[in-house]
Amino acid sequence: MTGLAALQRSFIEAIDGEGAAGWPGLEVYRNTARANLNGALADTYPVVRRLVGDAFFFEAARRYARAHPSASGDLNEYGAHLAAFLAGYEHAAGLAYLPGVARLEWACHECSRSADAGPLDFTQLARVPPARFARLRFSLHPAARLVRSRHPIAAIWQANQADRDGLPERTQGAEHVVARRENIAVRVSCVEACEWDFLAALARGAALGEATSTLGEPEAAHVLGMSLARFVTEGVIAGFTPPAADA
Amino acid sequence: MSAGGIASGLSGAGIGLRAPHYAQVLEERPALAFVEVHSENFYAEGGAALAWLERFRAAYPLSLHGVGLSLGSVDALDPRHLEKLARLADRFEPELVSEHLCWSSFAGRHANDLLPLPFTDEALGHVVARIDAVQERLRRTILVENVSSYLAFAESTIPEWEFVAEVARRSGCGVLLDVNNIWVNACNHGFDAARYLAAIDPRTVGEIHLAGFERIGDRLVDTHGARVSDEVWALYRAAIARFGERPTLVEWDTDIPALEVLLDEAGKARSILARRSREAPAEMAS
Repeated sequence: MTGLAALQRSFIEAIDGEGAAGWPGLEVYRNTARANLNGALADTYPVVRRLVGDAFFFEAARRYARAHPSASGDLNEYGAHLAAFLAGYEHAAGLAYLPGVARLEWACHECSRSADAGPLDFTQLARVPPARFARLRFSLHPAARLVRSRHPIAAIWQANQADRDGLPERTQGAEHVVARRENIAVRVSCVEACEWDFLAALARGAALGEATSTLGEPEAAHVLGMSLARFVTEGVIAGFTPPAADA
Repeated sequence: MSAGGIASGLSGAGIGLRAPHYAQVLEERPALAFVEVHSENFYAEGGAALAWLERFRAAYPLSLHGVGLSLGSVDALDPRHLEKLARLADRFEPELVSEHLCWSSFAGRHANDLLPLPFTDEALGHVVARIDAVQERLRRTILVENVSSYLAFAESTIPEWEFVAEVARRSGCGVLLDVNNIWVNACNHGFDAARYLAAIDPRTVGEIHLAGFERIGDRLVDTHGARVSDEVWALYRAAIARFGERPTLVEWDTDIPALEVLLDEAGKARSILARRSREAPAEMAS
């Protein structure tokens, strides 16, 4: 190892460590590095922070930084594993909904920076013969994410926005959530379980026929008759790949 | 103006634009020669951040100032990071693109801070090669900023000012000379700031940064959380006297004050630049 590499290795280890290191002045870097990471985490997870309070949040942030060190010079990428970390964090064991809320906040963070996409091309869609509908592959908007939880994470998220009182409309029950960006604002809304399963299948690349095949008959009829048009109108579905012509 | 090899077409004073001031700046359109943003804040495929930047770009000349490329690290240059920067620069066509003369990562682990390089021949050769690679990918000259530091490595064999001057000479990059960082380092490490200015080739200086430091314990720390100090204003006057009217930026990143405070600081820089212009109107590019 060259002198520069050896120096950089021991310096970064000293920043990660505790207590005195070989360099007087190192603590300035240690403090700044931690403040930058904690600030990024707080920016991405305002609802988690509000739910647990600053003392809890920043102690968890300190431990998170050790468990999942930053791997990018782009701080927008920091914090992707907070939900998994909280799921195994003993001090959060009494807050069963917290990892789900963190997953939703990460989904919102991704939505806020994902690509734009134009509305679905209806003219081209109209050219697809009905016999081939089952093989159409609809795609979700690049700035749409699906999250589900056994806890009412969307209600908790809504109630803990900056201008709200923190009291969720419901405190129990599973929720199936779509996070998406509308123009520049991120919106969070709940859908029915069958609709969420349908969207999740589309997100995996399933064709229309496959995406409805695992649903019961009334659910499939509901999704095809009502939900599909609504998702297109709302922009959750923003594109499609036409089926290849029959051989 | 007479910026020699590193002319950007910019002159005058600007501010580092941060989120608390976005809306007010666009609404009030204060007279600024340019605005500078942290490149990484706009590493996105779409959404609000890029929508803001579109509007800034339409209103002002733009400088993209990176904090995360880790130029001096022995790790390979992060191709994703560099691609994000290249896309941003291609889309927004900034007048200036700059980075820091520092490192931030080792073996893929990022400190997300501007860490000091030892001033050695090895580090010099390494960082010059990295700047070459970045300039080649971006197909443009970049500016590289001297950073403040809170420790001096025993390994260093070259004075900081010679290291900075040599990086610019060998790589062809410009220098973003942070006058506050020179002052902070002069106090922390006990050297003469005037000697630093004298070592830098005026033709390489493409931009000047001003910011405030704070005393923490027995050190000055470049917190970007205070007004520019009197000593740094004096050093800035000396820098402008030596280098000419370089585009000058006021930065504020912690405890961000009202926009008016930043504009007031930028106004002071503007009047120093104007005085230089009156006193040396015949300054010519040679």
